[in-house]
Amino acid sequence: MNPASIQSSQLLPALFRGVEDDQRLAVLHLGPARQDTLDFFSQRRCRLHIVDVFAELPLPAEEDTEHGLSAHLRDLLQLSGDTVFDVCLFWDLFNYLDARALRALLEALEPCLGKTTVAHGFSVHNPRSPDQGLVYGINDTDAISMRRRGRSIPGYRPHSQNRLLELLYCFRMERTVLLADQRLEMLLRARTGSEQRAPTGHTGRDDLIAAQIRKAST
Amino acid sequence: MIGPSIRIKGEVTGEEDLLIQGKVEGTISLKDQELSVGESGRVTADITARVVKIEGEVTGDITGSEKVVIARSGNVRGNIVAPRVTLEDGAIFKGSIDMDPGETVAARPTLTAQQSANSAAPELDVKSG
Repeated sequence: MNPASIQSSQLLPALFRGVEDDQRLAVLHLGPARQDTLDFFSQRRCRLHIVDVFAELPLPAEEDTEHGLSAHLRDLLQLSGDTVFDVCLFWDLFNYLDARALRALLEALEPCLGKTTVAHGFSVHNPRSPDQGLVYGINDTDAISMRRRGRSIPGYRPHSQNRLLELLYCFRMERTVLLADQRLEMLLRARTGSEQRAPTGHTGRDDLIAAQIRKAST
Repeated sequence: MIGPSIRIKGEVTGEEDLLIQGKVEGTISLKDQELSVGESGRVTADITARVVKIEGEVTGDITGSEKVVIARSGNVRGNIVAPRVTLEDGAIFKGSIDMDPGETVAARPTLTAQQSANSAAPELDVKSG
């Protein structure tokens, strides 16, 4: 197994700022769980909800699902209706979801977002940046661990920052930090009620590219 | 030990350590003992034990009063309640991990309003390296 490298993070501390030691955190973790992340959260009172969405990629086309992609994702995520997450860890998942899949994911997540929900993720500064193939973990409050992914993930097609701003209708980008390899670290905060924008529709180009990816993966 | 060719449906209880290499459906309660699910073990059950080690497949909720270990060959779908959880590289896990068995999940967010709401425009920092 390849060794992990540690990178300091300016944005990670914001996820835990103001959290008292005895406060209980509800954390959504949409990626492969790693021991360092578990060790980090085991020092706190928390409930981690872990779903490795990367293992489910590529997601099926809308027409290939019984009740639609959003319902498919709700089944996949198995979210409890009464849980509101304090922290969402998306890692670099957005880089592997086309506009339609991203919208479906947000629709599934929306009931579990509250006005204090904060999220963290990675995107790219330049959409033509190659896939770094990294698996992330939390090493410390201000440090992220990275390890090479053992396999390639299908459907890598990162969005530009502006496009991501449009697509993430129930989050606002609070702060971003440009990292090495043109990666972009993002701190997101949930929009609630009147703050929310309408979901951005997908484009014909998105459909075309998604169809090409599905064809290539079959 | 429950051997590879053994299938059990029902309630398994006991006061000694147990290794499961076969198939078990139902509930498993060992309280202060250790339960191991070997590589050939297939368990569809809620499990309660002091230590739970999984090298095979488990579908169900797991409560480990001391710790839960999922080995690299392990595949778990369910919720875990334990003060310590070890997940080896390559292990597959889907579900929730409750690190604080003392309470039920809060339905309300617990982060306070100390995280101030800033403007909608993202702030871009540039960091080298």
